[in-house]
Amino acid sequence: MDRAAVLAEVQELLVTGLRLDRAPADIADDSPIFGEGLGLDSIDALELVVLVEDRFRVSIPDEEVGKRAFASVGSLVDFIVAERAQQ
Amino acid sequence: MSLLAGHRVLVTGGSRGIGRATALACAAAGAAVAFNYSRDEDDDEARATLAALQETGARVHATQADVADADAVAAMFAGVREALGGPPDVLVNNAAISHDGLLMMLPDAAWQRVLDVDLTGAARCCRAALRGMIAGRWGRIVNVASPAAFFGKEGASAYAAAKGGLVALTKSLAREVARYRITVNAVSPGFVQTRLISELDQTQRQALERQIPLGRFAEPDEVATVIVFLASPAASYLTGTTVHVDGGLTML
Repeated sequence: MDRAAVLAEVQELLVTGLRLDRAPADIADDSPIFGEGLGLDSIDALELVVLVEDRFRVSIPDEEVGKRAFASVGSLVDFIVAERAQQ
Repeated sequence: MSLLAGHRVLVTGGSRGIGRATALACAAAGAAVAFNYSRDEDDDEARATLAALQETGARVHATQADVADADAVAAMFAGVREALGGPPDVLVNNAAISHDGLLMMLPDAAWQRVLDVDLTGAARCCRAALRGMIAGRWGRIVNVASPAAFFGKEGASAYAAAKGGLVALTKSLAREVARYRITVNAVSPGFVQTRLISELDQTQRQALERQIPLGRFAEPDEVATVIVFLASPAASYLTGTTVHVDGGLTML
């Protein structure tokens, strides 16, 4: 799975999984996931962890990894690509 | 009775007492039920409980695991998922130990062991269970607390501190996961007919019974039935609270 494909899946996952009211393609690569970016809060992150782990077969075991992975949409995509490359 | 039909329950510390009664009551209510126990000397008791569970015809599973051991808890959850056909959507944190002794003389290791099992173990099991509950957008966690959390208990300060912590954990986690239709509650059983109580002499028994408005000790089933209710879809608007199943001892 290349980066563009992962990005498209993440965009889709955010919209359908977290029921965001916007088109997947409108979610920018550099958009912060929490706070002003997508309007999500830290409790939404719990569901995002579960969705991402399930969809991409990666592990986000704790907040240390979570903070890095969820800094922005782009960092989440980079995290998934890097994790999958190691598998 | 099918209050828990289609649900998968994990009861920690399920080989005897309240845990055993809860596991059996959950199976009778239609759930698939797993329990763990920790000590080698409880092997026989655990086998007997598993046999009793099997008689209900429910899907059941027993495993030896110390909730204070992170790797053991991870393995336990993997085993439960496999045996019950999915992750538990009901978790009953019942496993607990105590250590008799006055605080001033309590070794660090004894304090730490009680906190590791009673509080950290419960938190660890919550963490392990939450992913499955969030994915299913439904869950029930029931923590077994104690009147010691509310009154304190001389000679059992570590136990009381751990149970007080468990009540605070119950409230905090209830707030964190309410959005996902996961409720987190506690039950606080008073004096229950267990091996410990049966070892008391007549005078000690009567002294305890006089403190209880209902005038008698509880049967484990009387606690289990409240846990089954809190674990069921019927308890949909209760979260973060403690139900005192103590014959009127506390009245909070």
